[in-house]
Amino acid sequence: MTSSTKFESYFHVLRDVIRAMHSITNLQEVLNIVVTKTTGALDAKGALLRILNEETNQFEVRAACGLGERYLTKGPVTTETVLSTLAELDKVYIITDIWNAPRVEYPQATWDEGVRMMVDMPLGIDKPMGLIRIYFTEQREFSDDELDFIKTVAMHCACVIERVQVMESQQSKFSHLVAHVDKLSSLGRMAAGIAHEINNPLAGILLYSSNLSKKVPSGGLLEEGLKIIVKETQRCKTIIQGLLEFARDREPQRALVNINDIMESALGIVENEFHLRHVRVRKQLDKIIEKVYLDENQIEQVFINILLNALQAVENKGVVTVQTVVDLEHKKIHIEISDNGCGIAPDHMKKLFEPFFSTKANGTGLGLAVSYGIVENHQGDIRVFSKPGKGTRFIIDFPFLVENSIGKGRP
Amino acid sequence: MKSLKVLVVDDEGVICEACNLVLAEKGHTVDYCKTGKTGLIAIERGKYDVILLDMKLPDIDGMEILETVRAEIPAPRVIVMTGYSTMSNAVQAMKLGAADYLAKPFTDDELIEAVEKTCPEQ
Repeated sequence: MTSSTKFESYFHVLRDVIRAMHSITNLQEVLNIVVTKTTGALDAKGALLRILNEETNQFEVRAACGLGERYLTKGPVTTETVLSTLAELDKVYIITDIWNAPRVEYPQATWDEGVRMMVDMPLGIDKPMGLIRIYFTEQREFSDDELDFIKTVAMHCACVIERVQVMESQQSKFSHLVAHVDKLSSLGRMAAGIAHEINNPLAGILLYSSNLSKKVPSGGLLEEGLKIIVKETQRCKTIIQGLLEFARDREPQRALVNINDIMESALGIVENEFHLRHVRVRKQLDKIIEKVYLDENQIEQVFINILLNALQAVENKGVVTVQTVVDLEHKKIHIEISDNGCGIAPDHMKKLFEPFFSTKANGTGLGLAVSYGIVENHQGDIRVFSKPGKGTRFIIDFPFLVENSIGKGRP
Repeated sequence: MKSLKVLVVDDEGVICEACNLVLAEKGHTVDYCKTGKTGLIAIERGKYDVILLDMKLPDIDGMEILETVRAEIPAPRVIVMTGYSTMSNAVQAMKLGAADYLAKPFTDDELIEAVEKTCPEQ
């Protein structure tokens, strides 16, 4: 080939790869184009594209051309041999000695395939994510242009793979989140239904037991038993009220408020408990505070719930940090409450906001469930990050809402 | 306290009977209905001082009964009872003319206090 037709041929391959990249509905299509076009442009026997599967730590074949079935079924390539020489991402590795190169896992099979030379081009942006291997039937020299061409294709290909991987991980995170929200809201609806059904029989129990407790001889076992029934029934009532709040039965009574004031007021309420346990509170409250439409009492309740959880999590002399940040760019208020306590076990993380989930001996399991409902009711977002033994961080975001964008009542 | 004429409208028989027991002991007369329909008929016929009204009845919505009661002359005092013990419910019932509000479950004392407070001695 003359140098100008070669240039044309490289140009066409790059054009096809980039075109495939932009119609990115199918990663496989891009990978197929990369292997076939590269093989054609370099007059090679074939090419193989492997992508690192991070779960198994193996390079799996994702696209191939020009290679026999027997060679392809040789199995996966482990990372140890490949990764050890894959450190430089922008370097093309030319393998001339198939029998002795450490990067070749199956020399016999490669030789039988008619391969006498190979070129490895790592795929990756910051870290290795894959590898393109191009196979030749005879030894040859590579011009700088050819090496440059291989690098350019690999770079574009790596960009596509990364974009698709980011998209896939976002998609899976999102669908996970949707399932979680669905589960919580159906639990809420169920809770509201159950609450009503249970309050009716409880009304009968409470009326009879409170009435009877006055008619039995005072000081006796009967009176004591009836009083316990009265007390326990009232406890049920409190639990159900919490559940109803979780079920978003309470419309936020919004007003323009300063989030720092609410935080200070919540800290004031728990101050004593913190003092008794020698737990220090570190405050980092944003000075330029934007007032937002929130239900002061409900948000205070959320802060108190999280602060008390933090207090429980830290040993004596722990530190709880509260932070407020006005994010003018994204038009939201960002609140963080973190502790350096015992953290949350990974298998508890999923259940954290579910009603009745509690790790405390006397907990109702409603604190965070109610908090979740309240934040959601304010179009806010509540997230939690935790490392066992290191601590827990709750993040709450509230959007700046203008008064007329808030529904006055519920449909 | 003078004897009051009380009507309980609740589809739960146990609640009707319990209210009857508690209030009768205090010298009040109690009738009860388990549906909205029979409740409306009773309200039209009898001259009640107080109506204890469950907001969730199988046939007619409690709010609808509340509006009918307000049209009565003289209008009996209505105490709304509901299992959805939420503020917004109470506020809505009060706006429609209810005199008081009892969140289920409630004790005998709470019931007596609500009923007698609603009808102060003239």
